[in-house]
Parts: sequence; structure tokens; C-alpha cells
Amino acid sequence: MHSTIQDCERTAMADGLAAGLTMACDAVGGVTAPGRVAALPLTRIDAGTPVLPHWLAQAEGVGFVRTPDCPDAPVATLTAFGVLLGAVRLGVTRRLAERAVEHLSGRTAGGEPTIRKQLVLGVLADVLTATEALRRCLQVAAGVPAAVTDVHDRLTELDWESAKLLGANGFITDSPTRAAYVSRLVANCWVPR
Amino acid sequence: MTDIDAELTGDLRAFRDMCREIAPELRDRALAVDADPLAMAEHLDSETLRLLRTACTPKRFRVEDVPAAADSYTASCLARAIGNLELGRGDAALLTANTGPSLAGLAVDALGDDAQQELFYRAIEDGRTWTFFAMTEPDRGSDATAITTRLDADPTGGYRLSGTKRYISNAVRGSIGVVFARTGGTALSIRGALVHRPRPGVAVEMLDMIGLRGACISELTLDDVEVPAEHLLGGHLPQSKRGIWGAGRAFNIMRVQIAAQALGVAFAVCDYVREHRPAAPGLDLLSARLDAARQLLYDVAIEVDNAPDDRRWPSVAKLHATDLAVRVTRAAAEALGPGSLLEHPLLEKWSRDVYALEFMDGTSNILRLSIAPNLTPSGLSS
Repeated sequence: MHSTIQDCERTAMADGLAAGLTMACDAVGGVTAPGRVAALPLTRIDAGTPVLPHWLAQAEGVGFVRTPDCPDAPVATLTAFGVLLGAVRLGVTRRLAERAVEHLSGRTAGGEPTIRKQLVLGVLADVLTATEALRRCLQVAAGVPAAVTDVHDRLTELDWESAKLLGANGFITDSPTRAAYVSRLVANCWVPR
Repeated sequence: MTDIDAELTGDLRAFRDMCREIAPELRDRALAVDADPLAMAEHLDSETLRLLRTACTPKRFRVEDVPAAADSYTASCLARAIGNLELGRGDAALLTANTGPSLAGLAVDALGDDAQQELFYRAIEDGRTWTFFAMTEPDRGSDATAITTRLDADPTGGYRLSGTKRYISNAVRGSIGVVFARTGGTALSIRGALVHRPRPGVAVEMLDMIGLRGACISELTLDDVEVPAEHLLGGHLPQSKRGIWGAGRAFNIMRVQIAAQALGVAFAVCDYVREHRPAAPGLDLLSARLDAARQLLYDVAIEVDNAPDDRRWPSVAKLHATDLAVRVTRAAAEALGPGSLLEHPLLEKWSRDVYALEFMDGTSNILRLSIAPNLTPSGLSS
């Protein structure tokens, strides 16, 4: 499990949300979403299955489908999938934070590189710290559903903190903020409440 | 508990009630505009949008009457705050998609002489004309004093405008707007100019944004654009008030309006959760926070009416309101359970919209710098 968690994060970091989600789905296999909508890689949705329209998700290679009318997945299975999905999101979070650093490194404000501003450095330090803490949470959370839910909630907050560093730049649909936002939608489908 | 609205005057209460009554019409149109923000023709006939664009036009330039309750919309920042909150409760993105004076109008009000105001407001009196306010540049974000777009004097007595502006609401469809540029190297040399579109040298490209798509945020490229001398704003004002001063005054009002819209969305989200899951835990706490934020907004708006050049309080209102709105949308998604953002498209759209309100007219970090630039111990008290 530990290496699968690492692989999911690495894959999402290197190849994006859909690639990470594919790896997580393949690792757990056949899990049913706790609500009435499941988020899946488009490549794992059978041809002819109706996909709920969402242009941002489609651009990320993710689709939303109605869940089949069958019993809920066991809590342990959902928790295990939630851990892998958390790792996928962590990879997406890191991509977004790296983009923020790249963006701010090329700008100046008041004659000083924006990346050196204390307000900016504080946020980046917090994002880095939280990323490390959340990775460890995932390694110990397999038996604690509430901890997995907490990781996803904190990832959503963390992505927002990074996105704000990009200003309007981070709100164009082809920025890494898109993947972070879609990863929130994916988690919204898979994390039980 | 204090009844916040009971402290409003009768006129403002009537205005609030009217806005509350007409806001739902915006919600009915919200998803269609999000899907295709350029297809506004049928929505411009909305009674709510029509009333809003008329009410936010200064009285002397209105071509039709507005109900008495809406008559004083432009008279105070408090009225603007009330209107934007209640209408934002319908849908904030629709407000940004509307034709009318908008932020450019506030700049023209502050910096334009009588003839310039006449030119601007007559250009948009058909109710079918969008305006744009162009300050932000690609590599400079919200740092207005760092803009590089140039206004060079030409031999005819006019100016030539060159540069690139980015993240400009409605520029792709705007026919007249205010573009800020510099005539020299100092902050006092930053001036606003009225610019018509289409015009030789002006090119626009719409940017595909994640949220608040009704605003049609665009990039505006200006290549040696002719600007007649009479289109340069602020010439009749003292030298220190010909440019940045007017922009700052316009931003102060607009930040209050955006804060109001963010709170409007947050109230709408809270109402939505209450409708679909009345017993959701935490709803009372959210409502209390929203009521308190509304009180803060009203207090700030009154502060702006009394001290229109003080940047601190509008920044406080916007920083708090946009942050709270984001938190409320997250809480709503959790309250409505797994898959809620896909099962409730309006909730999903509002979750994207509140993100965009954060960066409009000043990101959170820019606002923080306005709130606490030179604090002293006594400066921490209200």
C-alpha cells in the first residue's frame, strides 16, 4: 500500500490528475462511489455510458457518471480508495504550488522579486509544510476514515492558498488550478460524509 | 440580537426589499450564461438587469425612470452595497455580465469633466453597450503604479496609446472604456483615457476563465492607438487628482460592491443548503457569520461614504467577504453529501464564482497591504 500511495502521488505529479486517478482506480478496482455520482478517468468509462457534462473535468480527462444501483462499498474499501485519491491530489497540489513559484519568480513588485515578499514566502512555507504533513497522514490513515476526509478537506484549502498566489493567472482554464479544482470535484464524489 | 436591517432608513429598506424580490430572476439565467457568456442578447431584456443598469447610471444621464426605491442607488456606497448583496443573492456573475457603466463609470464619475461624462454615458444609453476598465497588465497584477502602457503626446496635440492590458472584464464586447497609462515616469503621470472600440490599433481576446464567466474577462492590446486630447480624463482637476486618485476612488467603491456580491453568493448558498437539507449541522453558525459580515459590509460602506479615499476599510470588507464566501461554498458541498457539486450545478458554479471574486480589483495580498501598510499600536483599533 505504501508504495502504491507514493506511485499515485508521483504519477499525478508527473502526468496529471487523470493518470493518477487511473492508477488509484486500477489499484482498488470496482469500488462504488458513496453518492449518486462517480468520478472516473474518461479512459475507464465504457463507450455509450452517459457522462454528466463538465467542461473542466473533460479537459482534465475525467468524467462523471451515475453510480449503478447497488449496495454501498464497504467503508474499508472506500477509505483505501480515499487514501490513494488523496495521494493523487497531493501530486496535483504540488504541481500547482510549483506553478505558483515559477509564476512569482518571474515577477517584481515594488522593485523586488515577488517571490521574496514575506506575504508570499509565508504562504509557500505553509503549503510546503502542509504537503509534507498530509503525505504522512495518508500513510497512517488507512484505518481512520475521518482522517482521510480531513486530508481531502485540507488539500482543498491548500490548493486555494496556492491558487491565490497566481491571481487571475491561476483562473484561466488551462492553468494547473483547473486540475486542482477538478480534483476537488473528484473528491466530492468519492469521500463519504 | 441586533436587527441589522432595522437600522436602515426607510428608503434603503425599500430598495433592499425590491432587490430581494427581483433577484431570483437572475438565478434562472445563471447556468445559461455560465455555459455561454457571450450569448447575452436574450438576458439583456431581463427586467432585473435593465433596472440595475439604469439605477447605476447617474440620474442626469438616465433615459428612463427607475422605481423610487432604486432612485438613490448612485447616491451612496451603502445603497450600492445593499443592492449588490441582494442581487448577488440571485447570481453575482449575471451582475458582471450586464451592460452599463460598471467600474469604468465610477472612474468617469471621479475623473471626467462634464463633456467626458456626457460622451461616456450617451455612448451607453441604449442599454446594449458594455464598458471596460483597463488597469491590470500581464506581468504586474494589481500594482497600479507599475503599469507600463504609454500615452505619448503626438504632434497634433493628442496622444498615442500603446501597451497590453489583461484580465479586463467585458473588454471583448465593450464599446467604450477607460484605459490607464502613463505619460511620464512618476505616479502622477498615470492618467485615464476614454477609448472606443472598435478602433484601429485595438485588439481583444477573450480569456477562458474557470469562474465568473459572465464577466467575459479579456486581454486588450493597444498598438499606437490615437487618443484625442479631449479624451484624456482629469485635465480639469488638480494635478494630484488627475489619475491614480480617481482610480483609487473607483476601486474603493468597487471593492465594496464585490464584497457585497461575494456575501450575496454566500447567502444564496446558505439558503440553498437550508432548502435541500434543513437540518444540516452548522447552518446556524454560517448564518451568524454571514449576518456579522453583512454588518461589517454596511459599516464599511458608510465609512466609504464619509471618507471615499481611504483604501483600508473597503479592503477589510472584500478580504473578509471573499474568504467567508469560499468557506461557505465548501461547507455547503460537505453538508449536501457525496456528489453534491455534480448533483447541484448552481452550487458548483457558485463555488467557482467566489474564487474569481477573490482576485477581481485587488487580490487578498494586495488588500492586506492596503489594510496594514504602516500600522501603529493605536492604528489597530477601529
